[in-house]
Amino acid sequence: MAAETADWLGVPLAIIGGTLRGSAPFLFVSLGECLTEKSGKINLGLEGTLLTGAMSAYAVSYLTGSPWLGVLAAGVAGLCLGAIHAWLSQRSGVSDVAVGIAMIVFGSGIAFFFGKAFIQPQAPQLPIFEFGAWSNYPPLQSALQVSPLLLIGIAIAPIMQWFFKSTRWGLYVRAVGDSPSAARAMGISVFWVRFLAITIGSFLSAIGGACLSLYYPGIWSENISSGQGLMAVALVIFARWQPMQCLWAALLFGGAQAIGPALQSVGVTSFRYLFNASPYIFTLIIMIITCSPKRTLAGSPGALGTNE
Amino acid sequence: MNVLSSWRSLSEKIIIPIAALILSLVVFGIFCALNGTNPFAVYSVIYQSAFGSAFSWQGTLVRAAPLMLTALCTALPARLGLVVIGNEGALVMGGIGAIAAGLAFSSLPPLVVQIAMAIAAIILGGIWIMGVGALKYYRGVNETISSLLMNYIAIAILNTLVEGPMRDPSSLNKPSTYPLLEVNWLQSIPGSRVHFGLIYGLIACVIAYFLIQRTTFGFGVRTAGGNIRAAKIAGLPVGKLTLAVCFLAGSCAGLAGMVEVAAIHHRANASLNTGYGYSGILVAFVARNNPLASVLVAILLGGLLASGSGLQRSLGLNDASVLVFQGIVFLVILFSESMYGKLDFFKDRQVPPKITPSTQPIA
Amino acid sequence: MNPKTSEAIATDPETPETASQLPPELDVVNVTKCFGHFIAVENISLTLKPGTFHALLGENGAGKSTLVKCIMGFHAATHGQILIDKQAQEINSPRDACKYGIGMVYQHFTVVPAMTVAENLLLVRPDTPNLINWKEEYKKLQQFMDASPFKIDIDMPVSQLAAGQKQKLEILKQLYLKSRILILDEPTSVLTPQEADEVLGLLRQEVDAGRLSILMISHKFREIMAFTDEVTVLRKGKFAGHGLVKELTVADMAAMMLGEEREAKEVSKTQVDSSELILEVQNLHADKDNGFEAISNMNLTIKSGEIVGIAGVSGNGQRELVEVLAGQRARTGGEIKVNGEHYTATRKEMARHHVFSLPEEPLKNACVPNMSVAENLALRTFDRPPQAMGILLIFKAMREIATNLIQVFSIKTPSPEALIGTLSGGNVQRAVLARELSADKIRLLIVANPVFGLDFAAVEYIHNQLVVARNRGVAVLLVSEDLDEILKLSDRILVISDGKFVYEGTREEADIVTIGQRMAGH
Repeated sequence: MAAETADWLGVPLAIIGGTLRGSAPFLFVSLGECLTEKSGKINLGLEGTLLTGAMSAYAVSYLTGSPWLGVLAAGVAGLCLGAIHAWLSQRSGVSDVAVGIAMIVFGSGIAFFFGKAFIQPQAPQLPIFEFGAWSNYPPLQSALQVSPLLLIGIAIAPIMQWFFKSTRWGLYVRAVGDSPSAARAMGISVFWVRFLAITIGSFLSAIGGACLSLYYPGIWSENISSGQGLMAVALVIFARWQPMQCLWAALLFGGAQAIGPALQSVGVTSFRYLFNASPYIFTLIIMIITCSPKRTLAGSPGALGTNE
Repeated sequence: MNVLSSWRSLSEKIIIPIAALILSLVVFGIFCALNGTNPFAVYSVIYQSAFGSAFSWQGTLVRAAPLMLTALCTALPARLGLVVIGNEGALVMGGIGAIAAGLAFSSLPPLVVQIAMAIAAIILGGIWIMGVGALKYYRGVNETISSLLMNYIAIAILNTLVEGPMRDPSSLNKPSTYPLLEVNWLQSIPGSRVHFGLIYGLIACVIAYFLIQRTTFGFGVRTAGGNIRAAKIAGLPVGKLTLAVCFLAGSCAGLAGMVEVAAIHHRANASLNTGYGYSGILVAFVARNNPLASVLVAILLGGLLASGSGLQRSLGLNDASVLVFQGIVFLVILFSESMYGKLDFFKDRQVPPKITPSTQPIA
Repeated sequence: MNPKTSEAIATDPETPETASQLPPELDVVNVTKCFGHFIAVENISLTLKPGTFHALLGENGAGKSTLVKCIMGFHAATHGQILIDKQAQEINSPRDACKYGIGMVYQHFTVVPAMTVAENLLLVRPDTPNLINWKEEYKKLQQFMDASPFKIDIDMPVSQLAAGQKQKLEILKQLYLKSRILILDEPTSVLTPQEADEVLGLLRQEVDAGRLSILMISHKFREIMAFTDEVTVLRKGKFAGHGLVKELTVADMAAMMLGEEREAKEVSKTQVDSSELILEVQNLHADKDNGFEAISNMNLTIKSGEIVGIAGVSGNGQRELVEVLAGQRARTGGEIKVNGEHYTATRKEMARHHVFSLPEEPLKNACVPNMSVAENLALRTFDRPPQAMGILLIFKAMREIATNLIQVFSIKTPSPEALIGTLSGGNVQRAVLARELSADKIRLLIVANPVFGLDFAAVEYIHNQLVVARNRGVAVLLVSEDLDEILKLSDRILVISDGKFVYEGTREEADIVTIGQRMAGH
């Protein structure tokens, strides 16, 4: 009898645990994309950044034995990819969407090329906080294993919110993203503000990649990201370009992603591919609900999508 | 002077992409050199395994065929101003449609079966991308993101089908559907091992070019793509144009799926999703969405894809190096987009010294 | 004189004496600016004396904007000097200009719509603190606002401000930067006459109090006569005259501005039997881009041979109205009838009812920049013989028709195959005019701000074309932000404010004071 209730409790607990584990990459990528889009450019290439970040984190963690160095390496890789995007997407006649697509191909190419050697070996993982240690119920214990990276991500969201509101550079980013011509008239260098916003955004996304390879699922494989970088772009639209709402949206997306594995863990395996595709379907549905052909979305940076 | 200036603008359109491709080769060479591989050996292997012999030419053309078709999936909507990258998804859906029709009608005459397979692939792929267009037009959903999400959904549908309702129990390590009967396979062009899919690709590209450049439909598409506000003032039915173009785009990629199923794999499984869709995007970009140029670019890129295993075999470069190269080509081509109209070489030198109003700053 | 105001301008504690000092003198000495072979400004000198209001007058394209951009450091002058208090200074950027106390208010708004008034003010400061203590900044901003000549709620998002308030915010930004010399580029073009008088009146008080010097670009004689001390006139990039306003008449200034006395060759309106109802709009509703209602419950009728002018401050729903009628925007309610039939602006209906339009900003609204002049000229007719046979395009016919139109409407283009985006603004306008006015039969013509940014001759040409069309029996809807244009052309005048018509009357009974008040929503 007790075992049966435990099993029934297992599904929601597995979903909660999966949410906590799975939302970290969404959170980092969406915050990175939020910063990027606030400056008026879109970066679809974060999918490639995520992969490169995951690979470099895993590789450096394996080679040095320090997972935190791996996280740093992911960040540096993100900065490099971000710099390419930031420079190329701001040249005249070049569309930021197209550069994003190119960066998906280039980023995944780099990740797969250098990652081949690291598919087999096991790299040291990041430490985790066992918030469920007080309980002797194993599903609860595993559900409450939280990565310090997730906590860092949760802290970045309000900090970014405050940054946009109460710092000079935050105001610059918003001004550049909403009205580049006004920003230019005020003597703000649109190019450099965007350059920094895009590279730092890319840095954050690459940290999201480190979450994938050094925390959950904690391996490096070529299909480790499978579109999460892209879903994060949709997520930012859903969150109306507000960092705090990115946090809630990331938890929601993490939850959607956890449904499939949670059901499989209790033996529901039919249509598992469709369940695993639920985040994509969910994202699409959310975009259909959020978007409208008749009006621009409230909160959307004015220069987004104008190539201005 | 008009002849000269049109000649200059034409030469600009040809020379810039070629220069970009050469620059990509150089950058890739540097990348290889940094990884300890002799770049000239790399070039030589690429050339040999892509265009070095009649045999390698055939391998190249086999790969070029689906690329021509998937390139249209990006090139056609691009003329409407849409960035659709759902090529992979439409290809997979086309493959599913083709195998379903091929298995359902297997007892009919082979020609009928093949027509049924093609029609099923065209319709399924077409509807798939038409959905993207409909979401864009009626709900304002960003077509790039939705089409990319739909790639993942299409692959999930394929996996579900080949592991469930359509699974051949004898396919153990790689779940697949039942195979097509051999008589229903897409045949090779006599005297070669290149299948008829190449002809499909060529015909589709020529039709697409004609449709866009020479018909009233294409005029409407180009107008709406160039400036949707002007198209609306002229009363053009932008919604219908969007749906029609997206359907055509998806049907081309769907046909690529049919070609792959009927000529290469003879069944549907995870190998359908091997990146022809994504490479098709690159073909369309390099060809600047011109269907005729796509034919040429598809052959070049087909050659590059064909050289992947050669690079691995003889130089030990892993197969992702082809993906890196594609990424480099992509980035360099985009960089070259910013060079149009900026190089003095292509400018008319007889700039009239008299003041033209267009050079006047807005007062 | 308000003692508080002087305090506000001199909030900087280090220079308490600036309030009592006059602003510095600004001298422009023999400035020439070339863009390649094109000489935009040639050998211009002017002096802005401390504590005066100086007007810079000239037609579009006369070089006024280029000259002030040289002063502001946007452009480096090819020759010549800028003196401040008789000292030659290098001004290489607007930031440099700011150091010398020179600030400019641009023709187009340079405020960030997504931010509040307070954020916008803070943003312009060259010394915005890295970390903003909003509590303290609010207090300071509130003090500044209390002491300034204009009042705006500092918590308002700029996107919700009316045009007049935005223009005040632009000027406030300069006062906040403690600019002593203000350069205004057509500051009243988006304001109602009353708003313009209020803004200029308050600025005049600041000048009289010796706190500001102002250089204002304008082509409105009324404002120059009423508010300024001196005027410098430019014509085609050259100096064309200078004088004290009190010693000049409008006719003197017009003569300087236009060169020779140009008689406006007006086509007189003829009596048209206007019994036929062409356009009927009933209870029309439409939304703005942000989803809020732009026009509500609007009714409008236009008869044949009638020009109906719609006046209003921009952003009151006229753009949305034009877009709905031209087919660029979906209506959310109500009905439109043309010739008594239901009209939804499809291509078929446009052709059947002979509806044409001249939208504002033709390159953005009515042309495809990366298609050829010939293709753009064929936009309305490409799918009909002789330009099409079935679904096939006949390029030869398209080219012939284009060649003819290019000649008749004297469009300056290297060839019919040139991309229309490479043509100058005036020639793009002519191309659209050719396309929309060359049809054999026109019943309804929808026109929005047709002469924005064009020179005198082009304006006359377009106005005459509109009257000719009207005399032929075309029903014309003319939407314009330029009240003079409306008064000049219309048979009947309506005023739109906040998505509703708030005034209607014939041209004969029109009274500028009432119309101005209605425009401002009073």
